[in-house]
Amino acid sequence: MSGNPSFVLEGILDATFQQMPVPEIDANEVLVEVKKTGICGTDVHFLVHGHVGDFIVEKPMVLGHESAGIVAKVGPGVTNVKVGDRVAMEPAANAKLAKRICPDLVCAATPPTDGTLSRYYRLPSDLAYPLPPNLSLVHAVSKLGALQSNQSVAVFGCGPVGLLCMAVAKALGASRVIAVDVVPDRLEFAKAYAATDTFLPSFMDKDESGKLGITEHGPRAIDLVLDASGAKVAIQTGIRIAKSGGTFVQVGIGNRDITIDMFSVLCKELVLRGSLRYGPGDYPLPIALVASGKVDVKSLVSHRFPFVQACEAFEVTRNGKSPDGKGVIKVVISGPDVDINEI
Amino acid sequence: MSDNPSFVLKGVLDVEIQQKPVPEIDRNEVLVEVKKTGICGSDVHFLVHGRIGDFVVEKPMVLGHEAAGVVSKVGSSVTNVKVGDRVAMEPGATCRKCEACKEGRYQLCPDVIFAATPPTDGTLARYYRLPSDLAYPLPPNLSLEDGAMMEPLSVAVHAVSKLGALRSNQSVAVFGCGPVGLLCMAVAKALGASRVIAVDIVPSRLEFAKAYAATDVFLPPPMEKDESRVAFSIRNAQAMKEKLGIADRGPQAIDLVLDASGAEVSIQTGIRIVKSGGTFVQVGMGNPNVNIDMFVVICKELVIKGSFRYGPGDYPLAIALATSGKVDVKPLVSHRFPFTQAREAFETTRNGKSPDGKGVIKAIISGPDVDINEA
Repeated sequence: MSGNPSFVLEGILDATFQQMPVPEIDANEVLVEVKKTGICGTDVHFLVHGHVGDFIVEKPMVLGHESAGIVAKVGPGVTNVKVGDRVAMEPAANAKLAKRICPDLVCAATPPTDGTLSRYYRLPSDLAYPLPPNLSLVHAVSKLGALQSNQSVAVFGCGPVGLLCMAVAKALGASRVIAVDVVPDRLEFAKAYAATDTFLPSFMDKDESGKLGITEHGPRAIDLVLDASGAKVAIQTGIRIAKSGGTFVQVGIGNRDITIDMFSVLCKELVLRGSLRYGPGDYPLPIALVASGKVDVKSLVSHRFPFVQACEAFEVTRNGKSPDGKGVIKVVISGPDVDINEI
Repeated sequence: MSDNPSFVLKGVLDVEIQQKPVPEIDRNEVLVEVKKTGICGSDVHFLVHGRIGDFVVEKPMVLGHEAAGVVSKVGSSVTNVKVGDRVAMEPGATCRKCEACKEGRYQLCPDVIFAATPPTDGTLARYYRLPSDLAYPLPPNLSLEDGAMMEPLSVAVHAVSKLGALRSNQSVAVFGCGPVGLLCMAVAKALGASRVIAVDIVPSRLEFAKAYAATDVFLPPPMEKDESRVAFSIRNAQAMKEKLGIADRGPQAIDLVLDASGAEVSIQTGIRIVKSGGTFVQVGMGNPNVNIDMFVVICKELVIKGSFRYGPGDYPLAIALATSGKVDVKPLVSHRFPFTQAREAFETTRNGKSPDGKGVIKAIISGPDVDINEA
């Protein structure tokens, strides 16, 4: 295929299709022909605001980082994949072993690095995993949450990240997976998908936990709480329902300034952990979970768009639903010249 | 002695010395004649506000929980101490049977009987009864005042060693140079920290910290008019990093930050100066509602831990550190009062200094009929 058509963010709300040079690869890298890219909230945030926290878009940048494709070319030092292999692409490359908080992390679609909404993407060969994944959720639940079989989990926010956290929790043997959201449809989906219980908050009240039979100690206590919403009230509630000695993992990125009840954190000796992307072992595990059928990711793909409709794809994601009223969970954009139904 | 004069909190700002019955002990308990009790911020808080969070003083309660004394009576099954032994007193008797107790986190026991936390009477009396395993014999080189200091030292051990998991050559910053902060610094130093940074807004406290256990000190700039706490914390963190040569990663990064102040700006600053992937331990109690920058917590994958009292192994380690001389608790005793002046002791602690202008670190009240200079 000729050319490398790419979906480039020029500035706020200004994204266009441009030809970019086809990347050259090093000895230990592969060139992947990108077939599918999911849209993440951060991609939308960069489009709408031009930055996410301290990551600022200073020059044009290709969007997209949740991708899979087919290996088009391999460097001479590559042994784990070959041309033609279908691979999941871990989009964050770094020189050293300790990933994700390495300062020299080169992360797709985090400025200044171009993302995957192109025909081609180059990455170190060890970040190309044969078969499809699911990402940061394993990191939050399994690695940082250290979820053990028969523990109980509550997840705030039933977007794709929250839903996948629930799926991972269920796959890892959680006895109880409680989904919380303010949108009833999302809760319904969560219940059908992976949650054992759901909760629709009506107003902020310490007694909410009583409705679900949650206690601070003992068998009905919640071992692990994850926030995948970024919403202040969700975080505050989550801290209150976590058991004495429990863990709270912050995955969702929302408002920066969150008021928390530090007294509760202190008296319950809570552990609050920030979760960023994924690290060692986090890609292989979800691939295994999906391959074995323990986690189903197919049902989360709600909308599909061809490459030429990337703008519309972002618009729909931003609106939270398509013009026909269908709610968005995950929107997937196919690569240039790739049919939306090609799997 | 057959009487038991006790320092009782009857209501907000209403205290009185009263006679209370001498406690009876079970076969696994000891009766201790309390010789020294240190005053904690929580005791003062109960005096001034009548409550801490959900712990409300509903009936008169004896104050005090940081204590040491002499064993006066032992139950029939007691083997670890005998009458006449000088002991440090761990003031929280837990149930031993719940999940928290059995998994090694007895500080989270929901049924703990804790001195001077309502409704349990505290140690500011002649006698106090406790399970024998919570009475730790003091070696000859530790005084009874040192024994009373083992309680706040255990808080520091729990925060730094247990939750902070500090290892030799790591670097630490402590916000707040009150007794807990100072003891955190002392523990960090004793455990081999390469750097112990003290932060406080009161210069004399910083000076004390520097002489006591800190390698570096930092005095935050004053807040500007109309400056939000968040904006101040960003500016403060930047100033601190520049002045002390602190980085987010690498050898100049700060591995562990403890807040012993409870102040929002300290917590906000602390989160910014701790290294990427670092740990932040909250030990100071302040305003319950604290605004934190969650984006920083996420991007640096911080681990924020609440630290509550002390658990398995903390008291023994505290006593070992003091006994070996690795931690010296004596310099922290700034004021001494006889039992009959317990009210004045609280007044002084509340004011932060005595009428002669001397700043309070730790005020110690002796037991009834105990000389303030009796070691």
